[in-house]
Amino acid sequence: MPKLTLRGAAALAFLAAAPGLASANVSPLDIVQPVADYKIYVSEKLDQLVTDTKAFTDAVKVGDVETAKHLFPSTRMSYEAVEPIAELFSDLDASIDSRADDHEKAEEDPGFIGFHRIEYGLFSKNSAEGLGPVADKLMADVTDLQSRIENLVLPPEKVVGGAAALMEEVAATKISGEENRYSRTDLWDFQANFDGSRKIFDLVRPLIQTDDAAFVAKVDASFDTVDETLAKYREGDGFKLYEALTDDDRRVLAANVNTLAEDLSTLRGKLGLD
Amino acid sequence: MTAPRCPAHGLVTDRRRLLLGLGLGAAAAAACPAGAASLAGNEAADAPESADANAAVPFYGRRQAGIVTPRPAAGMIASFDTLARTPEEVERLFRLLTERFAFLAVGGPVPELDPKLPPPDSGILGPVVPPDRLTMTLSLGASFFENRPWAAPLRPARLSRMTKFPNDALDADLCHGDLSVQICANTPDATIHALRDLIKQAPDLLLIRWKQEGTVPILAPRPDGRTESARNFLGFRDGSANPDSRDEPLMERVVWTRGGENGEPAWTTGGSYQAVRIIRNFVERWDRTPLGEQERIIGRLKASGAPMTGTDEAELPDYAADPDGALTPFDAHIRLANPRTPGSEASLMLRRPFNYSNGVTKNGQLDQGLLFIAYQADLEAAFIAVQKRLDGEPLEEYVKPVGGGYFFTLPGVEAPGDYLGRPLLEAASA
Amino acid sequence: MTAPASRPSSPPNGSGAPSPRAQRMMRLSAVGGAVLMLAGGFAFYAASQVAASRGPADADAVTVTLRNGACEPMALEVPAGRSTFRIVNETDRATEWEILDGVMVMEERENIAPGITQTLSVRLSPGSYAITCGLLSNPRGTLTVTAAAVTAGAPATRPALTAFIGPLAEYQVFVGAEANRLVKATAALDAAVRSGDLDAARTAYAAARLPFMRLRPAAARQGDLDAAMNAQAAYLEKREADPAFTGFHRLEYGLFARNSLDGLAPVSAKLAADAATLKERLRADRPTPQGMGENAERRLAALADTTIPAGEDAYAASDLADIEAELLGVAKIARLFVPIAEDGAPAAAGQVEARLAEFDAALAALRGANGYPSYGAVDAPAREALAARARALRDSLSAMNAALGLGEGDLT
Repeated sequence: MPKLTLRGAAALAFLAAAPGLASANVSPLDIVQPVADYKIYVSEKLDQLVTDTKAFTDAVKVGDVETAKHLFPSTRMSYEAVEPIAELFSDLDASIDSRADDHEKAEEDPGFIGFHRIEYGLFSKNSAEGLGPVADKLMADVTDLQSRIENLVLPPEKVVGGAAALMEEVAATKISGEENRYSRTDLWDFQANFDGSRKIFDLVRPLIQTDDAAFVAKVDASFDTVDETLAKYREGDGFKLYEALTDDDRRVLAANVNTLAEDLSTLRGKLGLD
Repeated sequence: MTAPRCPAHGLVTDRRRLLLGLGLGAAAAAACPAGAASLAGNEAADAPESADANAAVPFYGRRQAGIVTPRPAAGMIASFDTLARTPEEVERLFRLLTERFAFLAVGGPVPELDPKLPPPDSGILGPVVPPDRLTMTLSLGASFFENRPWAAPLRPARLSRMTKFPNDALDADLCHGDLSVQICANTPDATIHALRDLIKQAPDLLLIRWKQEGTVPILAPRPDGRTESARNFLGFRDGSANPDSRDEPLMERVVWTRGGENGEPAWTTGGSYQAVRIIRNFVERWDRTPLGEQERIIGRLKASGAPMTGTDEAELPDYAADPDGALTPFDAHIRLANPRTPGSEASLMLRRPFNYSNGVTKNGQLDQGLLFIAYQADLEAAFIAVQKRLDGEPLEEYVKPVGGGYFFTLPGVEAPGDYLGRPLLEAASA
Repeated sequence: MTAPASRPSSPPNGSGAPSPRAQRMMRLSAVGGAVLMLAGGFAFYAASQVAASRGPADADAVTVTLRNGACEPMALEVPAGRSTFRIVNETDRATEWEILDGVMVMEERENIAPGITQTLSVRLSPGSYAITCGLLSNPRGTLTVTAAAVTAGAPATRPALTAFIGPLAEYQVFVGAEANRLVKATAALDAAVRSGDLDAARTAYAAARLPFMRLRPAAARQGDLDAAMNAQAAYLEKREADPAFTGFHRLEYGLFARNSLDGLAPVSAKLAADAATLKERLRADRPTPQGMGENAERRLAALADTTIPAGEDAYAASDLADIEAELLGVAKIARLFVPIAEDGAPAAAGQVEARLAEFDAALAALRGANGYPSYGAVDAPAREALAARARALRDSLSAMNAALGLGEGDLT
């Protein structure tokens, strides 16, 4: 029966390629401290977001376009770093961070508000005209987000899964530079997304370091490659525009994003979380 | 009773399966009364059945599978860029692809992991992956050689980056690539499964650039046992004049590259040039074109596929009897492509196309066409020469090539332990 | 010598009255029946029975008599699982009795008046523990817990341990934040004491007391620190003159009874240092769902049995503010567990919510325009009413914990 031999070979082929089994050595209670520390990280990021958004929206409201433009990308970073948690509140995610194509009439849609609506005004029209109410709403939404998350018991699977979710997000909707299409400040977002993902990984690293050293090293190497690649585009306190990204580096980022998404997708299982 | 179960739908997707030896599908089909397949006992939502899902095309051989092996119903070209730079990284990539190709060709059970982990397989074919006549064929694009100094001197002599022909409207997002993987199988699900396997297994090495899937319509066997060419989305038979892929000496001349000849590096022996073109068909307009005009544009009768000068698809066109192009215009597609003049056999190639249907364009037209795939020993003498002859043909009003690329298909892997691309890497380290 | 604890198989039976066991069964069926109607689920019914069985009149109780500066017996041995201790205070002082695992307080019964018997029910894992015997300066006895087969079945719908990760983490965040506040507030208190400003020190004292009380469910288990930071003169041999009289109440004594900062600077400095140590200990602590649930129950029992009836702030009479802060710490735990219990035991979860609200309302009713009155103005019936709220909350929390699989026989 040739079938039997074939199956034997097949099983071998798969075992060689399969990720490790979920670690039996991680107790759910081991995950408590990483989740607690992540909550503190999220809280700190949201404190920063509220502070930065205040300065940003103040500039928008007084019509100081240059200052507002300058503050736009750095303000977003606190949001992007904790996006897996921030977007648990879909109403706020829509009002804070939706893109024009999420709306039927795109840029002209009255429902198009939040960061990207202001970005559109500042960078495409070079004007803060009519952005006052949008700025007020953004400030209110960000403050609301902060208080909602303060009272949120973080679902551990969202925390651990967030590391991969951030990478999936970048892979599916960001690597092409479509997020900040008016300001072209995508590299800031990338850095924040990667930082947020790596933070989660760093927090759970002690739980898998011993049993899964090769995995940890591989993920670290991917993050390092990303950091080194993005570092080439640092300028001042931020980054160059997305256009500066060479095709080669975009590929390097894309491959590492995919690899991280693939590798980090096993993290929940490795920690015994469904 | 040990009679094999008759496929409920009589769906046997490869009419030429006998060429590769009898699979279960053949046995089942033979044991089932022709035309007596019954739908009784099958619920509406039950899966269509075909014992041919258990049939496998051997992966190992001097040449890669998926070229002269019979074309199954579903095909796909996936183009990738690769981050593998050094010979070591490239070897890792090639070994990984070889291992995946070899496994997917034979199928088998998917191991069960802890359910808290993502499963090792997409699972779209179930816990036991059927071979389903899957073939995967690896080819390298010009950029693979250009961007790797160690490989540049070993680039196949005729391999170039596809350039625009006058009628082309190439979309950069659908062109070129460091490498292509042709995936063919009885069913689209099997090709999709294989693609997802690659993407899951090699995220650090492979970045997909584009892909195009296609299908070939399945024909009921003719009572007289003769075979016919499948129709494309223009409704014409495509492949009537294809060289016979079973004719090994012919294939040696037409398809397989000979290292050391014509300036080809020695390692290319047993490889082939792959030309891929995504050719959109303006089907609405075509369907609004009179039949006679359609036939004159193509150069064949639509119903039978016979040349304008004949009655049967298998007949060769007799251009000598039509020196003025009265029957078959000089600018008819088939006459331009193969004028059957002395020397034109140098431009023979083995075509292995699939029809594609992608959705609707922004303008509200069907996005359909032909995923043209051709293999040849000499890309310039074959596809490029033929396409140059076709430039300006009347058919251009109805077709628009939008993507594709040229690739060099690596020689085959003869036995387990070996890997695709080994001759190239050995040549590089020599 | 280790004397096996006496566990009479047929309890002493008072003439004419139903036996304690029979009384327990009657009460049990009443509670079980009511819960059955509410919850409509066997798992919760079973769990409630377990919870209800933790009555004070446990017939299998182990008796410990405190006399002459020692326990009798000095060595106890019980099987793992839940045990009930009858503590008989035959000394002439109100006293407390504690089970210690190193410095960690496993369970305690405070303010046992002379001549009185109190019971204490506690779930213990195998191991060696210490017991206190009267005054804190007295030698300690030993308690050996032997391995025993766990027989009581866990509720069928017991939530997975993973369900507790989020709540435990959230509690760790809360504890971390409160510990930070405590460190800052005790440092401020120390600074105020050193500055010689009595009023500022009194204000700072009240401010520092709040995070300390909110932390109590987690912090009270740190026996050495708890003794150093919160010792009450009543439990010390020389009372206010005892060198072990340190921490908050020592400061309270100076600030509110003697109206003087004399000699307080070393005490406030030590308190601030202890607060920093406590913060580190709590940070290193690895909480368990069971421990968290028990901590909350224990604080409620202490509130109901001692703190509320007797008061703790003998000099400042600021007990109501303390009680509110401690309730907040308990409620934090309870409200983190409620969402987990809502699936399998919605009635228990609802009851906890309701009793939390009742306790809150009872406290609010005592609050005047200028905040809480002096505890001296809260008379015995009012205290008893408040204690009843604490007891009721403790009972419903206990039932919910049991339904969550955190009760008896749920060793994990």
